[in-house]
Amino acid sequence: MHKFIRIDMTSLKADIGKVPEKYVGLGGRALTSNFVNYEVKPTCHPLGKNNKLIFAPGLLSGTNAPNSGRLSVGAKSPLTGGIKECNTGGSSSQMLAKMGIKAVIIEGMPKDNQFYVIKIGLNEVSIDKAPAEILGGCGNYEAIRLLGKKYGEHVGIAIAGPAGEYRLPSANISFKDPEGNIRSAGRGGLGAVMGSKKVKAIIIDETGADKVPIAKPEAFSAASKVFAKALMDHPVAGQGLAAYGTDVLVNIINEAGGLPANNFTSGRIKHNDNISGETMNATITERGGDGKVSHGCHRGCIIRCSQWYADKQGKYITSGFEYETIWGLGADAGIESLDDIAYIDRAMDDMGVDSIEVAVAVAVAMEGGLIPWGDGKAVLQLVKDMAKPTPLARIIAGGAGIVGQLCGLYRVPVVKNQAIPAYDPRAIKGIGLTYATTPMGADHTAGYCISGNILKIGANLDPLDKKGQIEYSRAMQIGTAAVDSTGMCLFVYFGIADNPGGYQALVDMINAQYGINLTSKDVDALGASVLKAERDFNKKAGFTNAHDRLPEFMEYEAIAPHNVVWDFSPEEIDEVMNF
Amino acid sequence: MQENGRIEIRGFLKLDSFIKKKFGTMPYFLEMDNSISGGDLAKLLGIEREDIEVIFVNGFVEGLDFMIKKGDRVAFLPPGCPGPYRIALGFYGKNQDNPANFKIQKKDAATDS
Ligand code: SF4
Repeated sequence: MHKFIRIDMTSLKADIGKVPEKYVGLGGRALTSNFVNYEVKPTCHPLGKNNKLIFAPGLLSGTNAPNSGRLSVGAKSPLTGGIKECNTGGSSSQMLAKMGIKAVIIEGMPKDNQFYVIKIGLNEVSIDKAPAEILGGCGNYEAIRLLGKKYGEHVGIAIAGPAGEYRLPSANISFKDPEGNIRSAGRGGLGAVMGSKKVKAIIIDETGADKVPIAKPEAFSAASKVFAKALMDHPVAGQGLAAYGTDVLVNIINEAGGLPANNFTSGRIKHNDNISGETMNATITERGGDGKVSHGCHRGCIIRCSQWYADKQGKYITSGFEYETIWGLGADAGIESLDDIAYIDRAMDDMGVDSIEVAVAVAVAMEGGLIPWGDGKAVLQLVKDMAKPTPLARIIAGGAGIVGQLCGLYRVPVVKNQAIPAYDPRAIKGIGLTYATTPMGADHTAGYCISGNILKIGANLDPLDKKGQIEYSRAMQIGTAAVDSTGMCLFVYFGIADNPGGYQALVDMINAQYGINLTSKDVDALGASVLKAERDFNKKAGFTNAHDRLPEFMEYEAIAPHNVVWDFSPEEIDEVMNF
Repeated sequence: MQENGRIEIRGFLKLDSFIKKKFGTMPYFLEMDNSISGGDLAKLLGIEREDIEVIFVNGFVEGLDFMIKKGDRVAFLPPGCPGPYRIALGFYGKNQDNPANFKIQKKDAATDS
């Protein structure tokens, strides 16, 4: 029997109940987004008592399916004002699934200013006052260490960092990985929602939990093998990610002329070699010590895109050092030293802020004259100042939109107030349509996966040409919404995005686990229904098609090297969600 | 970009260290009088065919038969680019005859439409 745990922070009481009928059969993003659409008042203030924060493991989490340890987190976003689902690695998703927990929901808010730690065990939930030493600016690395000492090294931890405590719009929720380092549910300010509910941390203790039941174990294991093979057969797993991490994209996107630079005024940089995945690999290898070129952020990962980046003495600086962070600081903000970027990445993890939102906000602040261009040391100090926070640190952690407004700029790269990530929509048009139309605000991960006949959709796609891009963006968003409900690590998309066989194996695993008979068309229909629920919420919250637009400057400022502008008409953009 | 008589050459993923080691610099500039196809240029540089999925020429994705002129900026990309970007950047229209293309049709796992 699956459990649905509701924790009311107004009365400080927890209820462990059955899964309501309407949520049975849902997991991950399908569950969080339908829940938010059903139960959250669309016009509520995201930081008020009527918002609700939901954590839900994916359908396959807790099984031994490769890379299935992803957790979805949902709420109304304080950054965008719309629905938000973001997801993360770490250990928590697998633990919750093994404990039979379908969702943990945090609602209400205490009247006083006391912060709490929620502990979820196999059959009980307790709510304790948070220890003073993890509050008031204590960084996540130290807080996770202290919580591990108190609750045991084996527990899973979700934590709102200092930025979450101060309810800043770029605050994320950080998750402990098996080594005590940090993964994040990054975008849209869900850490601020957690902070508003005065929840500093959630401890997950799986002691006593059994294996996840599988209806047809043999079929599951067969499908799981096909899926693993599909992932490993794709060159991205063996030759791309494991060696160079997601930062492999710096050189590729730069060469394609789609790497936004200096606050989106160019599509290419000259110092790409300083910050590329290839250079990162060579640097880690050369320095030795704690550094590792390849590392899995949760048990069961077979892709191992993560890495440990060490300093010149070989001492660990940061892990999970992603392309988007390196792009944001290295290209958009012009910081040319990979070491400087690594220290800032660590500080952002420590403060609990979304590295994309903050990096883009930094670049906007540079254009606005608040920080010198490319000054890594100044940015590092600013991020560390988020622990206090100083007024400027608070402004930067407010996100790119507010920084642009305060600096009096029109060149502000946001959609629905969320910063545009590392792929310039003028030069890679299909991704631009996804930024414009996803209910999440500009989000590259909203269009990652595709089912069905990829050759039909992909064969004639030219990144600079409008032809075929509407169908491409639609298919990618539907496929992604479906896969986001399975609990698969985001990066399995890198292997199965263009492999229908891998997609089918994923569907087969779900069928074998639950003893059902979905087809890939059913799973597509699930993806479409998730998008519809999300758009429904946004509509009730006041969003219209006019919010599905890229920033206007992209229509009249061409970027080098291709000298292209954003040229989709409003009617064309609206076609993406017309299904 | 219009360097006189020279082709500006880069390599990514494993070809990054290959070019840096073999030619001591990245980008590597090669003096050329005539046009040359991507495949022939690779041969000239000692790059294995199986190590190239597509090439970039002046920022555009091209197949190996594309003719490169002096002044062009070229990059060799081995297999290993993440799937969504292979689609978005238009690899599919250019790499279908290339053995280094990740051919989903031939995989055991490829069962769907
Ligand atoms: S592929 Fe990367 S993000 Fe995904 S589970 Fe493995 S290490 Fe974590």
